[in-house]
Amino acid sequence: MSAILDAIRAKFPAHVMAVHDRLGQETVTVGADGLRPLVEWLRTPEGGSYEFLVDLAGVDGMNLGWKTHRFEVVYHFRNMENGRRLRVRAALPAVDPHLPTVSDLWRCANWFEREVWDMFGVRFDGHPNLKRILTHHRFVGHALRKDYFVKDQQWLDDGAESLMDELGDYGENPDDGGFSELVPVNIGPAHPATHGTLRILAKLDGETIVKAVQEIGYLHRAFEKHSEVGTWTQVIPYTDRLNYCSAMLNNVAYCAGVERLLGIDVPERCQAIRVIVGEMSRIIDHLVCIGAALVDLGALTNFWYAFAIREKAYVALEGLCGARLTSSYVRIGGVSDDLNPAFIEQVRDFCRELPKAVDDILGLVKKNRIFLDRVVGVGIMPRDEALSWGFTGPCLRASGIGYDIRKAEPYSGYDRYDFSVPTRTEGDTAARFFVRFDEMIESMRIIEQALDKLPSGPVFSTDRRVVPPAKTDVYKNIEALMNHFVLVYDGIKVPKGESYMATEGANGELGFYLVSDGSGRPYRVRVRPPCFPIFGALPRLVEGSMVADAVAVLGSLNIIAGELDR
Amino acid sequence: MTTPYTLVDWVLGDGAGWLARFIGAILVWAVPITGFVSFVGLLSIWLERKISAHIQCRLGPMEVGPHGALQTVADGVKLLAKEDIIPADADRILFAFAPMLAFAGTIVGFAVVPFGPGLIVADLDIGLFYLAAVGSLEAIGVIAAGWASNNKWSLFGSVRAATQVVSYEIPMGLAFVTIAALAGTLSMVGIVEQQQGWIANWFLFRNPFTWVAFIIYYIAALAECKRAPFDLPEAESELVSGFHTEYSGMRFAIFFLAEYAQMYVVSAVAAVLFLGGWYTGIAPLDAAIGGGTAGMVVGAGVIVTKSFLLVCVQMWLRWTLPRIRLDQMMYLCLKVLMPFGMLTLVGSTVWEHFLPSPAIVKDGGGWTGNTVMTGVVVAAIGTVALVAYVRSVIRATPSLRAASNS
Amino acid sequence: MDWSTIMWWVMAAVTVIPAVMIVLSKDIVRLAFWLLASLTGVAGLYILLGADFLGFTQVLVYIGGIMVLILFGIMMTNRDAVLMRRGETTGGAMLTGVVIAAATALALLKVVKDTKWKEAAPVEMPATTARVGEALLTDYVLPFELVSVLLLIVLCGAAYIARRRPEET
Repeated sequence: MSAILDAIRAKFPAHVMAVHDRLGQETVTVGADGLRPLVEWLRTPEGGSYEFLVDLAGVDGMNLGWKTHRFEVVYHFRNMENGRRLRVRAALPAVDPHLPTVSDLWRCANWFEREVWDMFGVRFDGHPNLKRILTHHRFVGHALRKDYFVKDQQWLDDGAESLMDELGDYGENPDDGGFSELVPVNIGPAHPATHGTLRILAKLDGETIVKAVQEIGYLHRAFEKHSEVGTWTQVIPYTDRLNYCSAMLNNVAYCAGVERLLGIDVPERCQAIRVIVGEMSRIIDHLVCIGAALVDLGALTNFWYAFAIREKAYVALEGLCGARLTSSYVRIGGVSDDLNPAFIEQVRDFCRELPKAVDDILGLVKKNRIFLDRVVGVGIMPRDEALSWGFTGPCLRASGIGYDIRKAEPYSGYDRYDFSVPTRTEGDTAARFFVRFDEMIESMRIIEQALDKLPSGPVFSTDRRVVPPAKTDVYKNIEALMNHFVLVYDGIKVPKGESYMATEGANGELGFYLVSDGSGRPYRVRVRPPCFPIFGALPRLVEGSMVADAVAVLGSLNIIAGELDR
Repeated sequence: MTTPYTLVDWVLGDGAGWLARFIGAILVWAVPITGFVSFVGLLSIWLERKISAHIQCRLGPMEVGPHGALQTVADGVKLLAKEDIIPADADRILFAFAPMLAFAGTIVGFAVVPFGPGLIVADLDIGLFYLAAVGSLEAIGVIAAGWASNNKWSLFGSVRAATQVVSYEIPMGLAFVTIAALAGTLSMVGIVEQQQGWIANWFLFRNPFTWVAFIIYYIAALAECKRAPFDLPEAESELVSGFHTEYSGMRFAIFFLAEYAQMYVVSAVAAVLFLGGWYTGIAPLDAAIGGGTAGMVVGAGVIVTKSFLLVCVQMWLRWTLPRIRLDQMMYLCLKVLMPFGMLTLVGSTVWEHFLPSPAIVKDGGGWTGNTVMTGVVVAAIGTVALVAYVRSVIRATPSLRAASNS
Repeated sequence: MDWSTIMWWVMAAVTVIPAVMIVLSKDIVRLAFWLLASLTGVAGLYILLGADFLGFTQVLVYIGGIMVLILFGIMMTNRDAVLMRRGETTGGAMLTGVVIAAATALALLKVVKDTKWKEAAPVEMPATTARVGEALLTDYVLPFELVSVLLLIVLCGAAYIARRRPEET
């Protein structure tokens, strides 16, 4: 048992219900009234400086056989200095589950807690705005509870919520003695700048945004509920649709998460392939982000430069797995097909042409006075606030914190490649742009190295628990046939337990918190979407600036509605 | 004025009654100009598509007609056939009236734009002033459209249009005055005739300040036309579609046409004021062509070509530059263009006082000490400006700053 | 009837009819557009009188500048507030208006009747622009400069009022 778990047990003997560090993941279960003192202590240096709240999710333990409680709210923390992670599970009763809020300690907890309220009906005392976030405001019940049957559909047709209660009064501006009038304006959900379906309700003084509130959930597809219905393998196509600009990265994140829970390793060649396709997806994602954000700034030509090179990547991926956008290429324990020679050639071409394409786009903007005026110093996320807002990925690195999971907690053999983590200190829109430009070049370097030292060997694990037998065996051999049948019909039997697997998605930390009850179906699939907390910080970034700035900031954050709303 | 005859006189002969002249003017001018505006619209839209496509490594329209030349016609037919939608709570009368006002506001500008020697609707004494006066009429149509649409985005577009057009009239007017002070006349024909002879006689090369005046005029003209980087009134990523968000079908097409017609007008005015109008800039060539019908035809070709080249530059800029922000737009106008405009006016008049241009020699002249001085000063200022610009960019960009230090 | 008489009637109608509509209209934005038409008519009358420079100054200043600012002002106010101000006219206000209008009309009629109108022979009007310029820079240079200074003061005053004073709020 590790030192921190012992320390916690010693410090909070009355509240700690259980501790474990299975799969190397330190976990504490506490009673509801012990949560707040515990997390406050964990933030302090003697408590381990767990200053980053990575994720906050609910679990309904109805079918898990918990004796003392039904619900749990799971907090994932990370110490940003030494990279240690800690999971805190707060136990809650079946009747009127409620917890003290931590949204005053971590700003990102505001939305995470709203989501837990929405999905599990756990109240958070002291929460400033405990409303539904993903489902419709007239929705009845809590969808991720195990007793909410998946086919219980509700007919909700009375339009969007007005949100005026969050926006507050409008009318005359009290700040200038009522001289100017404030106008509420809906930016989205159907607005050219809100790619996907986001809604921002802004209160404007002239063109200056005095206050902004967001509404999300327009693209909510109940990913987490859906995942509980099928087998573990059947979740993979759903993950494609999370961040649909970089589906491969989602596939990798999910499969790696399940593999960690299963405790299996994939062959080195498979890891290298995952790195190649993942980094290509990352480049595609950044190209889409940059291209679309520049369109929002009125620079339309860059979009075509970005999409011309993106097309080359998609042609290569199409040749590999038959799909462009929704690849479903990665499998639990491997990848669906080995690389073909044409793919390798196409990827090498792509890597040769990418620097030119990046230079072309940069050439139009890097020294462009209009562009720099629009983005430099606009939408600043200060370094000391970024973590509290739950920023990860390029947006965090633009604020000066060089946190990249590929470096910090390498998976898929990222430690075998030489690459750097581009970081900027300004935290403004320009920094977010330029970090992405630099990251594309780093990703390209990783791909080239992976291709150069591509190991030979199988692309699938040999573990019989996850790998179906070869087709020739299935046709000739009764054991193989039975094995195949059971794998397809019952699904992969993942041992009982829980695991959190963090990967570096295109937008930041893409984590899967998986709970298995030992059957062939996932008990709980929780995805930590990087966009979600980032979009939560939008008012912080745009209030006080102009509508045009808000559009620029939104573009640089790269909010993907599929991942945001799930 | 100095032209041998105007087209109406040429058609009707002298001594026709006012009614005949009135109808004659409609037939000779109003009908062809409306046709010409449509032609300008079609050609410009096709050019815009092709230029943007080739800038963006694609082909653009290729299907309808050779290289998609008839695509715009097909789109026009489509727009004509579309349902005419008026939003429920719109001010119906103003909503219908606004596109007409915008189009009329643009087309009246054609009255003083010469198409060649003698090819001008009315060579007003105050031609330049007239242009400045009617330049803002289109903005009123745009404002009406935004208000009548009963849509906040449209309204924002209108307010932006009003701000922009009213503000940029001032630097534009300063550029006008600079040229008027040099030419000693406001008549468009009079201004062109001052630029006869070699290319050095063009007002653009008259003294170093007219260079600045040209740049100021061109930037202000972009803003008047609401073209990128000044397309704030319709900024599609911010205001959905700005003032014409609610417009569809033919009414939208009329706004569209008005925009392209205005692009032509401001470019033709730039050609008249700075680029020698219908003169080729090669004195012997102009002399060889002479006046009369041949001069009219060649002159028309020259001025239309110059105008379209400037229109193409507008398109080039649009597909290169991002959009400017509202406050930056005002900053540029009030704190950059206006002081420079005043400096230009004063500087140009002082320069002319001490280094007057030689009397224009009809069949030659041109390259004088003044021209050489102008060239030297322009080159020096240009170099200094370029160095200052590059330095400011390096200072503004952290990565470049680091690179230049290391 | 010749060309200029016809145009005079047209321009007079364009001036007066919208002026009446301004009084009758209750929609403040429509009212602004009627004002636009009326000002255009005035500009047309100037041009008919041979004062083309003045006519286009009218267009430039009133239509291009002041009208745009009026519309700007209306649009910056809340739309609902604008539409709500279509107030009902009370009886007392109506009476006062009628009395004042009648008195003004009487006075004007008397002036028209008492004035000894002279018919001058029509003269060819030379270009006015140069003469306006000369007059402004010679005989009237002092008033011209005074007006400029006044405008400058107005400009400074407006800028002073409009500037943001964050320390006071």
